[in-house]
Amino acid sequence: MRAMVFSEKGELAAQIATILRERYEIDIYTTSDSPLDSYGAKVVFRITGESLYVDNISNFLADRFKEKGYDFIAIGSSVMGREIASILSELLHLEAITEIMKLEEGNQVFITERFFFGGKTVIREESKARIFTFLPGLVDPMPVDSRSSKEEIKIDSPSTVNVVEKIEKPKGSVNLEKADIIVSAGRGIGKKEGLGIIQQLADILHGEVGGSRPVCLDYHWLSEERQVGLSGKRVKPKIYIAVGISGQVQHIAGMRGSKTVIAINKDKNAPIFNECDYGIVGDLYTVIPKLIENLKK
Amino acid sequence: MYNIVVCFKQILDIDQMKIDEKTQEPITKNLPYRLEDLSKNAIEEAVRIKEKYGGKVIGITFGGDQATLGMKEALAMGVDEGIIIKGYRENNPELTSEVLAKKISTLKYDIIITGNASADSYTGLVPGKLARKLNIPILGNAIKLELHENTARITRSMEDVNYVVESRLPVLITVEQEINEPRLPPLIQIMAAGRKPMKIEEMQIQIQSSKKVISNKAPKSDRKRIIFEDIDKGVEEVSKFLRSEVK
Ligand SMILES: Cc1cc2nc3c(=O)[nH]c(=O)nc-3n(C[C@H](O)[C@H](O)[C@H](O)COP(=O)(O)OP(=O)(O)OC[C@H]3O[C@@H](n4cnc5c(N)ncnc54)[C@H](O)[C@@H]3O)c2cc1C
Ligand SMILES: Nc1ncnc2c1ncn2[C@@H]1O[C@H](COP(=O)(O)O)[C@@H](O)[C@H]1O
Repeated sequence: MRAMVFSEKGELAAQIATILRERYEIDIYTTSDSPLDSYGAKVVFRITGESLYVDNISNFLADRFKEKGYDFIAIGSSVMGREIASILSELLHLEAITEIMKLEEGNQVFITERFFFGGKTVIREESKARIFTFLPGLVDPMPVDSRSSKEEIKIDSPSTVNVVEKIEKPKGSVNLEKADIIVSAGRGIGKKEGLGIIQQLADILHGEVGGSRPVCLDYHWLSEERQVGLSGKRVKPKIYIAVGISGQVQHIAGMRGSKTVIAINKDKNAPIFNECDYGIVGDLYTVIPKLIENLKK
Repeated sequence: MYNIVVCFKQILDIDQMKIDEKTQEPITKNLPYRLEDLSKNAIEEAVRIKEKYGGKVIGITFGGDQATLGMKEALAMGVDEGIIIKGYRENNPELTSEVLAKKISTLKYDIIITGNASADSYTGLVPGKLARKLNIPILGNAIKLELHENTARITRSMEDVNYVVESRLPVLITVEQEINEPRLPPLIQIMAAGRKPMKIEEMQIQIQSSKKVISNKAPKSDRKRIIFEDIDKGVEEVSKFLRSEVK
């Protein structure tokens, strides 16, 4: 079988290629300009164009899919990736399954696994779907010795949507997915200044600071790239310390891969205490300074 | 004056959902339904457009037996008219998008608003399929929305960058949680909602999904769950553990 891989993010395309190349012949399509010729694809097609948007990219990919007779489409799961998957599903009359973390082959069907009920469960399904979006961070991209051939393709057809402006988000250089130790702050810190002791604890442990969605997205106390959870980063550190985080399913979905989880929360009924190895019930402004003091000894 | 259609759904209250210890399966019996999170943001945004620019909001849900409750909440939040289409059983984007497209194509609309992805299934397929079926552009993942005569302009939130994008109406817009804080309607509006028009319809469309569920279980959690209510004891044990792990 032959797979068409698409992602606008080079890193994600490389991850999917690493997952699929043993089992399938793959071509990569991307709008990213990162070099992708060492991840086992037969051809890497770089898509360029004046007005690239999900509509004209989807039209192009649909035509390509038919023309080249690929068997299925593997897309990087992102805002854009999921939109493209849904449009392709209409254009090609094929079912799509988004946000998968596993793809196996059954008898005439694919078997997929993905989160369900907001991350509370993992649903395993078989289907005739032929379009999939893959969660980021399932594997580390691994280069191979051989090189793919490269081709550039220009999309000329205009989009119906007009891109007016690009606004960069404040960016650090944190790579939470690779961190060994993460100290994450939740709404329970109450104020931005609360991050001070969170950072101190992280520093002592040589770890990174992460956060729940309210802290990163609603209050902007931390940059968005530090958000852990279903719609943020999926992390798998050796130690994950959740401070003032209640433990809603969407947050747990992002840190379930952690080896050891430590929770600090003043509410002893907080759901996070069901998802931790060690828990301390108490006010974080009492617990953390004591913890820092003890670790400094 | 804009004609706005907002699509929303109800979900099982996943925050209250418990897991059966033996089977690892979710216990859905007797679990209440509630409006889906981003659907609420969609309703809020639709109502805000009406309040700011004038117009009318029609709310549509393809739902099950409890759909009237969700619709009443939407009407109380400021939706003017409700259409409930019965027959929803399970998460099937093929069927849902077809049903919504069929209904919406009989209405007058300038703007269709939906959530970006459902909080329970997180599939995010309905909006794109719907836009495609109606052959209108999709402006996705909006955290800000403005209208200017015949044009919609949104700030589109992507993973590492935002874009300002615009398109002519009619258009389908999906919203992200950040866009607004859904209102809690006061009692008087909840009462008044009962007097707003609400239609309940059936639609004869059969679209079978090829999807078959093999299993749907909570991932095994082998956490130790050693909880300290004595802070000093907890700090000591946790420090001991951290010191042994972090060199
Ligand atoms: C589609 C969708 C996607 C989502 N994706 C994500 C995601 O990726 N990541 C994410 O995190 N969330 C996500 N959410 C949001 C999620 O449902 C929760 O709302 C969020 O995780 C709650 O964050 P929190 O635990 O910080 O805040 P809260 O739930 O408000 O919890 C705060 C906790 O702090 C405790 N506390 C308060 N004061 C103190 C103190 N002084 N000392 C100690 N403890 C204290 C409280 O007891 C409480 O348990 C998503 C939601 C939806 C609908
Ligand atoms: N059954 C439904 N009835 C009305 N709107 C829906 C339905 N299912 C999904 N939607 C809309 O589509 C959005 C994304 O849902 P989904 O594609 O299921 O993740 C939701 O936030 C709703 O706005």
